[in-house]
Amino acid sequence: MSMNQARRPKYVIYLLLVMLLVLAAYPMIFMVANALKNGDQYTVNPFSFGVAPPFGQFFVLAWEYLEASFFRTFLIIALSLVGVIGFGMLSAYAFARLKFYGKAFLFYAIFGLLLVPGFLTLIPLFLQIKNMGLLDSDWALILPYIAGGQAFAIFVFRTFVQGIPNELFESARLDGANDFQIFQRIVVPLSVPIMITIGLLNITAIYGDYVWPSLVLAPSQSTVAMAIANFVPPPAIVSVNVVNMQFAAYTLAAVPMVLLFLFFMRYFVAGLTSGAIKM
Amino acid sequence: MAARTLNEDSHKASIAVSEQIKSPVRRRLLRQSIIAYAFLLPTFIFVGLFSYRPVVRALIGAFTAWNGLLPPTWVGLSNFIQLFHDPVFLESLVHIGWWSLIGIPLGMLAAFAAALMIYRLRSMRAQYWFRFLFVMTMAIPGIVGILIWVDFYNPGGAIDLLLNVVGLGRFGTAWLANPQTALWALILMGFPWVSAFALLIFYAGFQGIPTELVDAATVDGATSGQRVWRIEVPLLMPQIKLLIILSIVGISQNLLTPLLMTNGGPENASITPVLYMYQNAIDYDRFGYAMAIAFVIFLVSMTLAIVGMKYIRTGNEQEGNGV
Repeated sequence: MSMNQARRPKYVIYLLLVMLLVLAAYPMIFMVANALKNGDQYTVNPFSFGVAPPFGQFFVLAWEYLEASFFRTFLIIALSLVGVIGFGMLSAYAFARLKFYGKAFLFYAIFGLLLVPGFLTLIPLFLQIKNMGLLDSDWALILPYIAGGQAFAIFVFRTFVQGIPNELFESARLDGANDFQIFQRIVVPLSVPIMITIGLLNITAIYGDYVWPSLVLAPSQSTVAMAIANFVPPPAIVSVNVVNMQFAAYTLAAVPMVLLFLFFMRYFVAGLTSGAIKM
Repeated sequence: MAARTLNEDSHKASIAVSEQIKSPVRRRLLRQSIIAYAFLLPTFIFVGLFSYRPVVRALIGAFTAWNGLLPPTWVGLSNFIQLFHDPVFLESLVHIGWWSLIGIPLGMLAAFAAALMIYRLRSMRAQYWFRFLFVMTMAIPGIVGILIWVDFYNPGGAIDLLLNVVGLGRFGTAWLANPQTALWALILMGFPWVSAFALLIFYAGFQGIPTELVDAATVDGATSGQRVWRIEVPLLMPQIKLLIILSIVGISQNLLTPLLMTNGGPENASITPVLYMYQNAIDYDRFGYAMAIAFVIFLVSMTLAIVGMKYIRTGNEQEGNGV
């Protein structure tokens, strides 16, 4: 290989990568660009980067449209995370650190749930929630989300807790700490990073879920995903501009996830690959 | 005689002692078990009610006829027999077959190419930034991506306008409402198909390739193309197989995309098995039939996954662990 040969492909690689990246990011670029235009500009050329006066008007409208959905979705996510992480950590501690009757059986009972796909339980769970009288209530989301998050969380937490050095547990026991104190003072503080990873995976899954909330919640109680998918323009808006307001709503819906990715990129990468390693 | 009695006595005594030792051990285990069950209780209450119960109902429900109002009646295998004579279900299987055959190679190729190009960059800093930016394209929620693509496909949308620009405007159509194009619009959505997840898996795989191997090949005068085909592709087989399995599972479970983009239409031109299950339950109140469909998809995708897992494991043993 001469220097010449080695050098030439490098430009090509950079060029190809940038092109690929722009194409991959294009839906986002298109979305933001058209949220900033008005309907006439969109109809003439959706690929342009014009800005409609008054600047950002559609974001204001989209925020008004989505505000209630945002608060509802955040509440649902927060309560679900408490259950997934809290109960998941408790079980992981038992599986990692305690000896008890039926341990292997109970572990496989949890592990087996990883093989159960969501679509299998979708219909019976819907009928069950209906029979329990939970339709049109946030609990119709929170309770199944907590249950659905257990298996993977326990699996990952257990591996992590097993990796905590034994000496920490022994010295705590010598100091007379009981299991719950050990859990609270040693296991939980040391597990914060792994809890963040699992939390992020659950946040993205819940935030992006459309099928389940659209089955169990009324349109007036939309989550963010429901609100943008079943977009109903406010009567005040000129119909030609509806599409721009829609793009503004999509943009707003994407903002929390983009911020999470920016701040917690490392945890996301760890979480994504942790699932693969386990296989 | 005396010796024997003595012997028996000491034997008895040793049993008694060992039982005395054993019983505190057992008592300790019992006490620890109670503590452990207390730790496990919340999890099992939740999964019992909202995971096991619906799984059992799903498996039993597949053998019943049920409209959701009257109690379900046992019909044996008749749902399954009906299913395999149901033209819509059979069509949905063909669709999911095409989706896997076309969609999976496209996605793998794109992610492999992107990971390979990033890995070949000399500068670690550039490698980091490209990985970062590709992962950022995934930050946008899936549902938002789907909705934007619906807009792209609409008559007069971005795809039609692009065709106009290159002088192929006469091919413009309502991509999602045209029975000729609806399924292909679903399959090809998400161009250029670089999944950040697959990219990271491949990239980690490249990092796991021993440098001596590549150096030796370079010394022997291997070209860049030979290096890809003779070294990197064979050594990344575990990653490739893993991603194929995950993709099959993912595509067979993907309800969101067809539901939002076409709802299986027009006239079932883009129906998929999971969507057909959903429609039977939610739109037609045929819950037993819907559960039978779910049962079949579950069995098929599990079988594929188990077969694939076997191959992955042999792959890993040859290679060490790439991920």
